Amino acid sequence: MAEAEAHKPARRASDPWPPVRPGVGAWWRDHVRIARETAHFISARLGTSLLVWLLVGIALALPAGLYLIQQNLAAMTAAWDGRPGLTAYFDLDASQPAIDAVRSHLEADERVVAVSVTDPESALDEFRRFADLADALDLLDTNPLPASLRATLATEVDLGALTALTSEVSRLEGVSEVVVEKTWLERVSDITAVVSRLGVILGVLFGVGAVLVTSTSVRLAIEARLEELKVLKLIGATERQMRRPFLYFGAFYGLGGGLIAAMLISLCLVIVEAPLSSLLGSYSQELDLVGFDPLFLGSLLLVGGVLGVLGALLAATSRLKDLEIL
Amino acid sequence: MAQIEFHGVTKRFDNGQEALANVSAEFGEGSMAFLTGHSGAGKSTFLKLLLCLDQPSRGQILVNGVNVTRMSGRRLAHYRQHLGAVFQDHHLLSHRSVYDNVSLPLRITGMKEKDIARRVRAALSRVGLLEKERLFPRYLSTGEQQRVGIARAVVTRPKILLADEPTGNLDPELSRDIMKLFEQFNQVGTTVIVASHDRDLIESMGVRIIELDQGVIVRDGMDTRRDIEAPPDGDDHG
Repeated sequence: MAEAEAHKPARRASDPWPPVRPGVGAWWRDHVRIARETAHFISARLGTSLLVWLLVGIALALPAGLYLIQQNLAAMTAAWDGRPGLTAYFDLDASQPAIDAVRSHLEADERVVAVSVTDPESALDEFRRFADLADALDLLDTNPLPASLRATLATEVDLGALTALTSEVSRLEGVSEVVVEKTWLERVSDITAVVSRLGVILGVLFGVGAVLVTSTSVRLAIEARLEELKVLKLIGATERQMRRPFLYFGAFYGLGGGLIAAMLISLCLVIVEAPLSSLLGSYSQELDLVGFDPLFLGSLLLVGGVLGVLGALLAATSRLKDLEIL
Repeated sequence: MAQIEFHGVTKRFDNGQEALANVSAEFGEGSMAFLTGHSGAGKSTFLKLLLCLDQPSRGQILVNGVNVTRMSGRRLAHYRQHLGAVFQDHHLLSHRSVYDNVSLPLRITGMKEKDIARRVRAALSRVGLLEKERLFPRYLSTGEQQRVGIARAVVTRPKILLADEPTGNLDPELSRDIMKLFEQFNQVGTTVIVASHDRDLIESMGVRIIELDQGVIVRDGMDTRRDIEAPPDGDDHG
């Protein structure tokens, strides 16, 4: 019998009748039915649902956006051409052996991954190309540009090591000046740290906000279906069965919010992509924005769903616990 | 062994009012009985305690020998799945169709849709509302709504059917029809206990009548006009 299949008796002496324990098929049918009913309930109140989705979406988009900014800043600074590194300018009369000595010294240093030397003639040619001052430079009797050396450091070298190396190189024979964009690097590093910590703080705050928004919405849904819940309790629904529709509510609200957040972030990325690309292009760097990958967007949906279920659990557990039937 | 046993059951509310005072009664499996008495006599409290909607202040309620008064959680839910309950104000869900209202107790058991449909239509057929299965309760008369409530109560084929003033809002003819329905369910083996203050109606049914007055059983027997004294504990009138 089909009904007998769904009801496997499990004898327990402390029950007036053998309790019926639904099988997996019954459990699955219950979930499908509830998912369908929840979708119907939400679509029937689309205005309210959209409002909840927007609230949850914005609450998720802010910390997620900050996370993306932090990730992009980190990616940009890591990929910055020649960074971390330093440029040593030699005296105008520095001899080739002195230049070679500095080069050998740096190449022997394990913190340095690459060394390139630009002789005065190459520097002048480059200057002509970029500065559009060819006519003016032709008037000069001698080349005013010194030889220079560019040392690229390993990415794990921190600012402290860079400062020490700068000091070391500046003391070598023939070196006139050592230039490091240290201030700029420090600023980017500080900004990245601030953004990262701000992201964590906002993530927690807005995460709690998202939970409270779904919790309040689910609470309202519970109040709207209070009569039904009382009937369900009367006819023998378990607390888990009564709670289940509201967990679906939370999941739907959370997933919808996650989707809105993903759309908002994608929109922001599209908006900033062009000017950012132009800005980075002026530093000879290509833009490769982090955030469009499916993993990140999927994670956003997942986080939204989990927060939604948490909010629903909070509301349903507290409200259904002491539900009076009659 | 009686199916339902009340042993010295007292229910005292927080305000000190005693709804039931040391009530003892037994109901055999497949029996039918009416609870009667004036308003506030304790009829509804009697049924609520049996449904475990409230707990007695003292005493025990045994069903099939199991004390049901302290049950909670899943055990209580499973217990209620074996009961059918009908109330004066129906407790129908206005946003669900007649079919959906009646199918609700079956859905929580996870029954397959085709079995649900068969059971629901059988129950609606028994109460004469098969053709109205797609309507919403607001389009039904009070009597029809009550019959939907009865269909919902019996659709699971409960072991015990409890009804609290099921004919309270109905005219005498409809009331008799409803009572006949209860009688029919009793004839197929369901234990039926109906609380009603309509003495004329219940006396015409020729079944056991328990009369309550201020929480005390003052009469218990087949015919209240003969003033049968309440039996001592342990008597089974099933």
